[in-house]
Amino acid sequence: MLELFSTKIILFAIIGAVLTGYTCSLMGTFVVRMNLSSLGFAMSHAAFAGAALGIFLRKDPLIFALLFSTFVSLALGPLADKAKLKTDVVIGVIFSLSMALGLLFLNLSPDTAMSSTAMSILWGSVLGMTTADIIYLLIITVIAILFVIMFFKEINAILFDRKLARSSGINDKPFYYLILLLTSLTVAFSLKLVGGLLVFALMINPTSSVYQFSYDMKKIILLSPIVGVISCLLGMLMSFSFDLPTGSAIAIVCSAIFGISVLISPKRRKG
Amino acid sequence: MDKAIELNAVDTTYEGEKIPCLKNITLHINKGEFIAVIGPNGAGKTTLLETINGLLESNRGEVKVLGKALRGDGNSIRKYVGYVPQDYSIDELTPFLVSDVVLMGRYGKIGLLKPITKKDKEIASNMMEYMGINNISKRPIGKLSGGQAQKVMIARALAKEPEIILMDEPFSNLDFEARREVSEKLIHFHKNKGMTFVIVIHDIASIPKSCNRVIVMDNGRIVADGNKEDILKPELLEMGYKGMVC
Repeated sequence: MLELFSTKIILFAIIGAVLTGYTCSLMGTFVVRMNLSSLGFAMSHAAFAGAALGIFLRKDPLIFALLFSTFVSLALGPLADKAKLKTDVVIGVIFSLSMALGLLFLNLSPDTAMSSTAMSILWGSVLGMTTADIIYLLIITVIAILFVIMFFKEINAILFDRKLARSSGINDKPFYYLILLLTSLTVAFSLKLVGGLLVFALMINPTSSVYQFSYDMKKIILLSPIVGVISCLLGMLMSFSFDLPTGSAIAIVCSAIFGISVLISPKRRKG
Repeated sequence: MDKAIELNAVDTTYEGEKIPCLKNITLHINKGEFIAVIGPNGAGKTTLLETINGLLESNRGEVKVLGKALRGDGNSIRKYVGYVPQDYSIDELTPFLVSDVVLMGRYGKIGLLKPITKKDKEIASNMMEYMGINNISKRPIGKLSGGQAQKVMIARALAKEPEIILMDEPFSNLDFEARREVSEKLIHFHKNKGMTFVIVIHDIASIPKSCNRVIVMDNGRIVADGNKEDILKPELLEMGYKGMVC
């Protein structure tokens, strides 16, 4: 019975890792290309602040994490457009506010402040994956894949140059905001696996690794999620083998893949 | 004659600024005209092009393109307007191949949720061949020279098969021979496809032969508008932009 239970946990963890690795890295291709590297950072911290509020209110932290990161994604685009500031500047403001709120909420609930729930939000708890978590992850993965397939032309043109896309008759704003929204949902649903502090690595590193080998955006969009999945599975293997925190192990693996990619990248070779 | 572009008493002001960059512009362009817009730096030439295609919204007056008011309908009109900007965000690591960039010119015209067809690819390929960049179609755009990239951007705009084409300094990165060659291709396009051309040009000597009308801008206003021969008198050419206006 116990063996069956642990098999189910491991199976859920593996499925969770595959889905999280795929979606995070798929959205990461947009985040890297659009120079929104700090976006994942801000959203993960917004999710952390939301989860901390959930803990303070003794409600489901995931729901509040979702609400906060979705709010950030919805506010970020229009705020950056209206304020005529670079998105990274607005992200910086949101990041510090989120971190402050997160710590404030945890401080207001001292009995749970450093409890396992709070820690799992920060660092992930892959072995705590539930059927509901898997279903949520599956839904967001399917939505992200459909989004890319259905609107590949528009996304590709926007990734090349937003203004040029607009000049050719593409309404860029809804797509840009959708990319931000999908990224925030991906971050919130990925907290369980890698945690708020490391989800950023899973968004940036696989895409940055594939960038070292290709100048073709189509290939980058296709291959980054595969590298993301491999990073997650290898990270989990490392985590189980050496009894390491899963989020940290995944971040270390994808950072190592990035490091190796930079070293062997043909882009730096001559002739 | 059918109008391609109509601007009536148009002011365009950049957000956060008080003084308009375009001041009280009234300009009517017929279908099939080939127009060169000249003027010193900061005269409002680029602002004029971006007001025409709706990338910048005018804050006074009326802009009509192909008979439709631009306000609120910019995207649908831009499907028929090709644009070659002066600046575009390409760096050495830009992960897009030349063939993809040219094909992208057609994306707005193809429309939402519609697939890229064989015909779209054929048109893009023909345009690359026409511009003489077929041999670099699989190269990353960030690795090209300024002149090559400029040809790619022109091919991208032409691949849309637009009714109006707006070009902002399309020859600025081209050497003398390439300027002549590209200029002849544009003339050919103008004659055979009947497109309306509006080209911003800094170097007056580069104005294509087909150009039948020259507009001179200074300080956000149109200060002269007429036949090429009337506007570009040799003595004025020597004097440069300032003081060239009658």
